[in-house]
Amino acid sequence: MIAPKKVIWAALVLMSTAAVGIGCAPPSAHGPATSTISVLLPPSERPFWQPIANGFEAAHPGTHVDLVEGPQSTDLRESLYTTSLLARDATFDLVYLDVTWTPKFAAAGWLRALDDSFPPSEREHFLPHAWDAGIFDGHLYRVPVRTDMGLLFYRQDWLDSAHVRPPATFEQLAEDAVVLGDPPARWGYVWQGAQYEGLVCNYLEVLTGYGGYWIDPETNDIGLEDPEAVAAAHFLVDAPQVRASPPGVGTYQEEESRRIFQDGRAAFLRNWPYAYRLSQQAGSPLVGHVGVLLMPATDGGRPSGTLGGWGLGVSTYSKNPELATEFIRYAVSIESQRALCAPTGYAPALEAAYLDSTLLAVNPFLTRFRALHRHCTVRPAIARYAQASDILQRHLSAALAGIESPQMALEHAAHETRLLLGPRHPPRGTAG
Amino acid sequence: MNGRATIRESWVLIAPAFLFLLAVIALPILRVLWLSFLHADLVGNQHFSFAGIDQYDRLWNDARWLKSLGNTVMFTFSSVAIELGLGLALALLLHRAFRGRGLVRALVTLPWVLPTAIMALAWAWIANDTFGVANDLLQRLGLLRAPVAWLGAPATAMTTVVLADVWKTTPFVTLVLLAGLQGIPDTVVEAARLDGLSPWRRLARVTLPLLLPSVLVAGLFRLIQAYGAFDLIYVMTGGGPGGATETVSLYAYRNYFRYLDFGYGSALAVQAVVLMALLSWAIVRWAREPGEVS
Repeated sequence: MIAPKKVIWAALVLMSTAAVGIGCAPPSAHGPATSTISVLLPPSERPFWQPIANGFEAAHPGTHVDLVEGPQSTDLRESLYTTSLLARDATFDLVYLDVTWTPKFAAAGWLRALDDSFPPSEREHFLPHAWDAGIFDGHLYRVPVRTDMGLLFYRQDWLDSAHVRPPATFEQLAEDAVVLGDPPARWGYVWQGAQYEGLVCNYLEVLTGYGGYWIDPETNDIGLEDPEAVAAAHFLVDAPQVRASPPGVGTYQEEESRRIFQDGRAAFLRNWPYAYRLSQQAGSPLVGHVGVLLMPATDGGRPSGTLGGWGLGVSTYSKNPELATEFIRYAVSIESQRALCAPTGYAPALEAAYLDSTLLAVNPFLTRFRALHRHCTVRPAIARYAQASDILQRHLSAALAGIESPQMALEHAAHETRLLLGPRHPPRGTAG
Repeated sequence: MNGRATIRESWVLIAPAFLFLLAVIALPILRVLWLSFLHADLVGNQHFSFAGIDQYDRLWNDARWLKSLGNTVMFTFSSVAIELGLGLALALLLHRAFRGRGLVRALVTLPWVLPTAIMALAWAWIANDTFGVANDLLQRLGLLRAPVAWLGAPATAMTTVVLADVWKTTPFVTLVLLAGLQGIPDTVVEAARLDGLSPWRRLARVTLPLLLPSVLVAGLFRLIQAYGAFDLIYVMTGGGPGGATETVSLYAYRNYFRYLDFGYGSALAVQAVVLMALLSWAIVRWAREPGEVS
């Protein structure tokens, strides 16, 4: 009777040691001399990072770069990074950051300041807006790798045959959209009005065009109750009501709107440059028929597009922060920018890449993009950006769905944002 | 071998499974409970501090929470009610013998096995105003003059997500009720028939009372699932338009993963669990009572 018991105990002990053993297994199979750094990437980008990782490993013998393939959805990747960083886990040495994550991750203490390796003097090597988006509280936490901006694409051929000039004001855009449309077969102006981050991007461009602002991160001032902000909301809310935009524009994300344009059923499309790239691919009916503009402006406002893009930061919990920083340096070399951007059509963050003959040969649009990029409008760099954005999304969406008037929606949004951000700061330089 | 030794041995034997369950179920629940009494807002302050019942206090002044709770209740009760009715009808139908029954039974379960996120995306496209099949069909049938953006207004958006949920989970109810029907002895139904009860009265007086335990199981399972609905709504509307379909679990998720406010997110989660537990307890009690009386 003793023997079976002993067996059971032995089995238990074995099981627990095995469990401990698994937990402590060295993460790398490349021998003890190897130091590994890792980063979580979207599956669509991972193949194009492989040559960069290979080049880095060749230049730094004894190192290994682990490119972990995450989910394609931005939100899900953010959740994975959040879970790992929350646990103070060293799984990811590098964080591949969306433009809006930086303030939050930096405020949570999850990112190392990179000022020593990338001092302000380096700014001139990058597209200025892309660089500035990596700064929070006066420190650089994210080095831009590729950049993006919202643009207004239009059917050059339709405008030409109707003898319509590309719109420079919102009135012209609304008018052209109605004139060129023939709903429901052909719509004037398609954009993204669903309750998600894209709605805020769309609104911010219009808001900048009207000369308004959302949040001033320096002073905590909120501009959503200003007449410019109300006018901007009216422009978007009115678009489906005058049949310039489809009735469902308040449910659209990027793809819903892009498909209408790609099918030749819309005159104007607000989207990211990827939509242009797809429209100019071989076999597309739109090759040579698409023009590109900034979102228009009225007197007192400026034409713009919302800044997007991706960059690299170093995790606070990385065991190899120097090597990770070295990798960032390598990832923004001209060779790496070429490797990532030539096959994908992404817009590089490095200034020199816009003079690179290889990149310009495969993507001639880059020259025009570089010129437009000077006019970016940026989302406020505040730690509580996610909450502020959700507040604005909900109320703009409510206005589009007819639940609230634009005026009321913005008053509510301003009130909630004020509660979120607290009292306004005194302007800089004022004592006490 | 005596009894006490056997008991001790059995404890040893279940210990690994018990410890495992403790680690993956009990510990996280306790942790969430503990977090709900903390100020744990990473963006505001990286050091957690004791909050007492502050986080629960916040709930009462949070219009967004009240709205999301209302949405959750609306979604849960309408979808579960329709699913039970539809599931019962389908189960009664599939209980009868007819040619090709095996094939039909397999087909009926199809929506249940599809991944929710994928079928939610499909439903979002079905409801699309420009490309959607729903608008196309309804217009061809002459029921609609112009396409409708089903997910673009609060009432139609809620109806559409409820319908998508009904489509997806009615098979589950059908399966449970079908199993229940097959557990009812034929002799009982036969006896009722010989006593001259009409088919409707047979259903109301014999089949349904005997089926009640299965209805209860299916209903409770669905209630708990629908109350925690996340992926379907996250993909179809993201809580829009204007927060009209945001559920409590969506709101809790956003507090955790978007706002990094773990204290408040935990309070939302605890509150949801407590409400659901109370509701389940009330239903089980209510269902037991008639049995105890008779």
